[in-house]
Amino acid sequence: MAGAGGGGNDVQWCFSQVKGAIDDDVAEADIISTVEFNHSGELLATGDKGGRVVIFQQELESKNQPQCRGEYNVYSTFQSHEPEFDYLKSLEIEEKINKIRWLPQKNAAQFLLSTNDKTIKLWKISERDKRPEGYNLKEEDGRYRDPTTVTTLRVPVFQPMDLMVEASPRRVFANAHTYHINSISVNSDCETYLSADDLRINLWNLEITDRSFNIVDIKPVNMEELTEVITAAEFHPNQCNTFVYSSSKGTIRLCDMRASALCDQHSKLFEEPEDPSNRSFFSEIISSISDVKFSHSGRYMMTRDYLSVKIWDLNMESRPVETYQVHEYLRSKLCSLYENDCIFDKFECCWNGNDSVVMTGSYNNFFRMFDRGYRQDVTLEASRESSKPRSVLKPRKVCTGGKRKKDEISVDSLDFNKKILHTAWHPQDNIIAVATTNNLYIFQDKL
Amino acid sequence: MEYKVEAHRIMSISLGKIYNSRVQRGGIKLHKNLLVSLVLRSARQVYLRDYYGGICLSAQQAREWCEGEYMDSEQDRLVPGSTESLPESDGQSEVAVDKQEPSIVVESHAALDVESEARGEQDHAENGVLDSGCSELKTPESPEASPTCEVSNVVTTISSNCISGPPPSNPKQATETPNDCQTDSESVEENSHEPIVPHTCTNRKRSADDSELTDSLPKRTKVMSPTLISKNDEKKAETEEMDTSNVSSLITIFGSSFSGLLSSEDGAQPDSEAEDSDSGQICCDQMLKNLNPWSTAIVAF
Repeated sequence: MAGAGGGGNDVQWCFSQVKGAIDDDVAEADIISTVEFNHSGELLATGDKGGRVVIFQQELESKNQPQCRGEYNVYSTFQSHEPEFDYLKSLEIEEKINKIRWLPQKNAAQFLLSTNDKTIKLWKISERDKRPEGYNLKEEDGRYRDPTTVTTLRVPVFQPMDLMVEASPRRVFANAHTYHINSISVNSDCETYLSADDLRINLWNLEITDRSFNIVDIKPVNMEELTEVITAAEFHPNQCNTFVYSSSKGTIRLCDMRASALCDQHSKLFEEPEDPSNRSFFSEIISSISDVKFSHSGRYMMTRDYLSVKIWDLNMESRPVETYQVHEYLRSKLCSLYENDCIFDKFECCWNGNDSVVMTGSYNNFFRMFDRGYRQDVTLEASRESSKPRSVLKPRKVCTGGKRKKDEISVDSLDFNKKILHTAWHPQDNIIAVATTNNLYIFQDKL
Repeated sequence: MEYKVEAHRIMSISLGKIYNSRVQRGGIKLHKNLLVSLVLRSARQVYLRDYYGGICLSAQQAREWCEGEYMDSEQDRLVPGSTESLPESDGQSEVAVDKQEPSIVVESHAALDVESEARGEQDHAENGVLDSGCSELKTPESPEASPTCEVSNVVTTISSNCISGPPPSNPKQATETPNDCQTDSESVEENSHEPIVPHTCTNRKRSADDSELTDSLPKRTKVMSPTLISKNDEKKAETEEMDTSNVSSLITIFGSSFSGLLSSEDGAQPDSEAEDSDSGQICCDQMLKNLNPWSTAIVAF
């Protein structure tokens, strides 16, 4: 695939599709809370605050238009989680889907894990395009025939039918987390997966729902001494014994499950010393890591904190190898962002298929791409205005001071209610899915 | 100065967030509240540093007076409530901004003085904390510094660490001077008024305490105060006094439903992990048990 990020590079991003209501009045349940491509990129899953999962499937490339990649159309929709009430603690458990992770495909059916704050579910999505017809004892509509009227016997045969996609919950992994689950990650061994909440990480076997192993526990004996929480966790893409977890203090710990049963002792600690000149009331908040993602190669990992994206080489713990500023102009506005709670937004980040470009979201429905090789970055916008089919996205620029040029947007005009927290990149092609509040935009490179 | 106003504002906002988090759907979010409490602590450190900056200054002035021949006037200045004296000193104008402050400053002054015995155990508290404002936030030495005042509890966490952390070390810096002052005054001055000053201050502090607390909080404070004093934990007293200056902002945040807040506060104070968020009975004893505001906040999770 072409290296892509935009700028001087040859990739130009075009609008492809937008999913979701056009209505400006956003229903809370429709707010998209997670976006994930499956391993082949054929399926794209989204989860929302209402506990629903919507899966889009890419149409096969039409032979008539070989230059056009297939469109994504709704494949399956189901209610994954329902609101619950914990009677013991008098707490309501939100049905919002926090994360979706696909399992590698092993047979005709697709499997994915979806989780809310407390419960993880394994869903099987399977197709049915044939049905048996010609029973001896049943009519076509299902009514039973009177056996005395049966005079001949026939063998039922499968007849084609309209495609039906069924989603069924195969496993429910419940009651293992006291705190809110923030991450799930499937192991490369395809047999286990981890789930992480604020203070603990559990290891599950996909087949076994009534028990899990606790592999990380950072809960202090005395809760008064709590200083940090776990914010994200992920298994290494190739090494089934390795996983990382990030903390609210801006550190990442890499753990090896072979070392001990309880991985409280990290194998590696990735931390960059804080720049004292940037010290403010909000230093702790903006250093909290909101997402951590391994590169496809497994050599690097990327972390996202409030203002920047950092690429770490797993072999170097002292500092990141690359740092990209996402929206440094917000540094002077931290107090206002604290007041309106925007400073607590958890932005995600993602790699492209060959690890040459990384992407993350920002405010005003902007999202940013950083090309690691060409050292270029571009800011694009997901908006209805630039939603004409195959229209090329124009790079955007935020004016940080001085005279505002034409087409630039000043920091004060940014709409902080329009934020892009969730983005996903197709594992092979230059197709990206960008979630605004309640819409899913799909962009692809101009072929 | 601007820092203090800013810090105060941030503290108020943080309190509001912590309060609102209790009514949010999905339960209390540990991560967000942890971050908010860290901000609260930073702001409080800056706020107190400025406070103590003012106290140090006034204490220094006082020392000079002690050594000088203006004992009587000094005494007047040290008498709580007489705000006129304060503005006369350099840099104290900023301390006297809030009309509550002068009395608090003086009370703290006395508190600091009385607190010398507590200083020892504060030595290990974050000494470097104040050096650069809100620099390194260390783990609060919570068990030792736990205001019992309900105001602080409400603010609880407000204060959360803020109270447990810096305050103990704050006085450390400022304590030097007042004590020196006392020593000097005692040695130099035969004026019978001198030695009384601290006592007066102390007594005055307590009464001011009661009055302020009573003004701000219904009923309960009255129950709290005697207990507070009986415990004779000057750290608490002092930090609680720091908090009373925030009461006005607290009140604006929480409106008049202090009791309501306390009940929901209590409701969110389980003994162990996020259990029992029943809005139980507000019991002063229960509040006393959860002295450490940090614990009340975190344990709630």
